[in-house]
Amino acid sequence: MSAGRILVVDDDPQIRRVMRATLVSGGYEVSDARAGEEAIEKLRTEPFDLVLLDVNMPGMGGTEACQAIRASTDIAIIMLTVRNTEKDKVAALDAGADDYVTKPFGMPELLARIRAALRRAPAPENTAAEHIRISGGEIDLASRQVTLRGRSWRLTPKEFSLLSYLVSRPGKTISHRELLQAVWGPDYGEELEYLRVFMNRLRKKIEPDPSKPRHLITDAWSGYRFTPSK
Amino acid sequence: MSPFLQLRQFRLATLSLRLLSSLVLISLTTVACFRVLRVNETTAGFGYLLCVLAIAAAWGLVEAIAASIAAMLFFNYYFLPPIRTFTISDPQNWVALFAFLFVSITASQLSDRAKRQAGETQIQQIEMEKLYTLGRAILLIDTAQPPARSITHQIARIFGFSAFVLYDRSAGAVYQSGPEDMPDVNEKLREAALQGTLFVDEALQLTVMAIQLGGQPIGSMALRGSSLSDTALQSLSNLVAVGLEKARSQEAANRAEAARQSQELKSTLLDAIAHEFKTPLTSIKAASTSLLSSGVRLPDEKQELITIIDEEADRMARLVTEALQMARIEGGQLKLNRTVTSMPALVEETLSQLRPLTEGRSIKTEFAGDLPPADLDIELVELALLQILDNALKYSPPSAEITVKVQAARGRLVLSVLDRGPGIAEEERQKVFEKFYRGNRNRDSGGGSGMGLTIAQEIVKAHGGEIIVKDNPGGGSDFSMFLPLAVEKTVR
Repeated sequence: MSAGRILVVDDDPQIRRVMRATLVSGGYEVSDARAGEEAIEKLRTEPFDLVLLDVNMPGMGGTEACQAIRASTDIAIIMLTVRNTEKDKVAALDAGADDYVTKPFGMPELLARIRAALRRAPAPENTAAEHIRISGGEIDLASRQVTLRGRSWRLTPKEFSLLSYLVSRPGKTISHRELLQAVWGPDYGEELEYLRVFMNRLRKKIEPDPSKPRHLITDAWSGYRFTPSK
Repeated sequence: MSPFLQLRQFRLATLSLRLLSSLVLISLTTVACFRVLRVNETTAGFGYLLCVLAIAAAWGLVEAIAASIAAMLFFNYYFLPPIRTFTISDPQNWVALFAFLFVSITASQLSDRAKRQAGETQIQQIEMEKLYTLGRAILLIDTAQPPARSITHQIARIFGFSAFVLYDRSAGAVYQSGPEDMPDVNEKLREAALQGTLFVDEALQLTVMAIQLGGQPIGSMALRGSSLSDTALQSLSNLVAVGLEKARSQEAANRAEAARQSQELKSTLLDAIAHEFKTPLTSIKAASTSLLSSGVRLPDEKQELITIIDEEADRMARLVTEALQMARIEGGQLKLNRTVTSMPALVEETLSQLRPLTEGRSIKTEFAGDLPPADLDIELVELALLQILDNALKYSPPSAEITVKVQAARGRLVLSVLDRGPGIAEEERQKVFEKFYRGNRNRDSGGGSGMGLTIAQEIVKAHGGEIIVKDNPGGGSDFSMFLPLAVEKTVR
């Protein structure tokens, strides 16, 4: 049985070749696409677990493709980019990616990121509270749904892992490192921009006013905290 | 004959004609009063006064005074008894006669002054109009040809000078315009432009004056063939100064814009090239790391060869990244994105980025106890620290300890990297920050592009700070970055 089905999207044929060779020997099933449009088409017809998406492609670029993919599915997405400024990283995550890797990269690093992205967070410890009330709605941990003012929002696996980790420890400040390692994996711990982007994404889905968060609170320097409605 | 003498003769002839006409007018008034109307002396006196006033208003003071004296003589001879003599019997009539002369001359003067003022006002108005036209012309100047030349032509045309010469001191150029030739005034122009002197030659109708801007002469001009009031001359000189200065700053701005565009193009090009390099590097790196980590034990020599490919791919990627950063810095794209930052976190993050290089090395960190947060661009300062740490790792033996120390001193944050390498000689300390400079000792050790410390220095400079290199007491070097502390800013 394969470790997962991966779609490699890159306009450079050599990169597709080397990815296919290494990922297949790593136990994954691999398919590839040369551009964003082709990737979206393939995702529509074949089942995949993860997309490796190059940011810089002619035609529909990676960021745009990522948004399009994210709009219809919660598949894991890792962006591959040659730019490594904070701005580019945040842009990739903002488009809906779960992670990004800067080119050129070592294969062990990429494989670790793929494993982390495919890893589903363990079920929340506190299974009794499946429904958590928030102002104007509720979070259903079992169905991964958030209902707010009559509208329901679907969470991506990483968003869900992050939220459920915080929600199952109400009122407690969780450090950046602990959150990163719990949600992304043991190799993580310094990627504060991941948390910033993901908290913003979550706030847009569960906060009545995302600019004045009432549930997902930032504790400067230390971490994040979930406060339930009274 | 010179035009100036012609003008003088013409003026003399006009004056004589007017004097004669004045006398004729007074004679006609006498005939009218004495023969035709036969009026008494009072009416005659007023008649003369009217006549004198009319002459003063129409022609001027000289004509009016001549007319006044003639009128007084006629008045005495024909109207004051005994008539037809210049003698006066009644002493009261002396009074009347002199009163007449006095009133007549005073009225002439007043009338003449009013007339002159009107004339001056008119001249001023014409000068103002010309200056205004010139001001407009300077604003709309065509930049296709040298601006000083355009200004020269415009001045000659608008003011109707027979010749006009402009000397632009900074360009060392002389421009001439006007229908006639200017006598050789180059010496005078130079003198005026150097010392700010004014030179006027009435006979030649020539004026040479300095053009000053903010009290400093920036050139001079010579004009001929039309007289201008002092005020107008001064205004003209000011306008020319402003015009030249405007042209100069315009030119400087154009040059700066051109330089900026070429710099921008250069860095865009470098950016594109760097990205093109990274794509094949990605394939090489992915392939080499796959081979090295495949879990299959390779024969030693193959393992060694693949390791070389892998390390060199890393080196090339680093060079490309540094070239990119250098291009950004030189393209003036170094925009700071300041954030209030905790220094220990920044240092730890930088060390984690260096991990493969720091394996097996002893790196110590020392943070001062009550370290205030700093206000800086995290990414860029991390990059600067990375370069300095990389330098320390490269230039000190693997067994030697490296210390990263952060403290606050005199309102600034001091981020120091201390190594136990061979140290840097006094005369080399400035050179290490020059682009592409590489230390003598390590020319053959490879690895660097010689841009690392330049990049670090540019980043620290952009923060308004500085990097200082000194000896590490006990051997080695001390690279200290002085950076700004956060001031009254809320923690993000």
